[in-house]
Amino acid sequence: MGKPPPISNRVRLHRMLAGDMTQAELGEAVGVTRHTIIAIEQGRYSPSLETAFRIARLFDVGVEDVFGWEEQP
Amino acid sequence: MYQDLSFREKSAWAMGALALIITLFYLADVQPISWRTGEAPPVDRHFIKIAIATIVGSIIIQSVLAARNPKEAEAPADERERLALARAGNHAGFILAFGSVAALLHYLVHANGDLLFHGILISLLVSTIAESALQIFYFRRGG
Repeated sequence: MGKPPPISNRVRLHRMLAGDMTQAELGEAVGVTRHTIIAIEQGRYSPSLETAFRIARLFDVGVEDVFGWEEQP
Repeated sequence: MYQDLSFREKSAWAMGALALIITLFYLADVQPISWRTGEAPPVDRHFIKIAIATIVGSIIIQSVLAARNPKEAEAPADERERLALARAGNHAGFILAFGSVAALLHYLVHANGDLLFHGILISLLVSTIAESALQIFYFRRGG
């Protein structure tokens, strides 16, 4: 497997804060599959800017509250 | 584990397995004739058999998968799946092009039309298997 993208996220935390929203519910709300939400939460996939904004807006927070840049050595 | 696979990953596994089985049957069918006679004419029952098997097998596989996952089957590929499908298709295209060019170069030297046909057909089958394998790889990797 390749190096994971240097983008961290708190999608799982925000799902929990949003009343234990399921991955399938989040995926349906932002227009991706449950497997894509799983890949995002595991850090295997960095979503497009559009999907990142959709996720942040759904949780009513800023994009940088959900996604961050991890400096790598 | 089966439940954890997305519709498109299940489809990639099934279509890859079908292409692999058809390739093995094709080689098992053609190779003995080639060894016996030194060449195997392409336009006869071998080609018709694999063409029919591919079409019927694909229809059955897609129908069964769609019946078991109707919601996922109707949904278009999302951004991660489109990326994985595009990458896999790109690499598979290189394999098909390489095999086809190799078959054409062989034809230029040996002028054997039968081998040209088989070379391109095998390239197509191998690129189909590779495309399914690469789709699975990219789905697993994340995109």
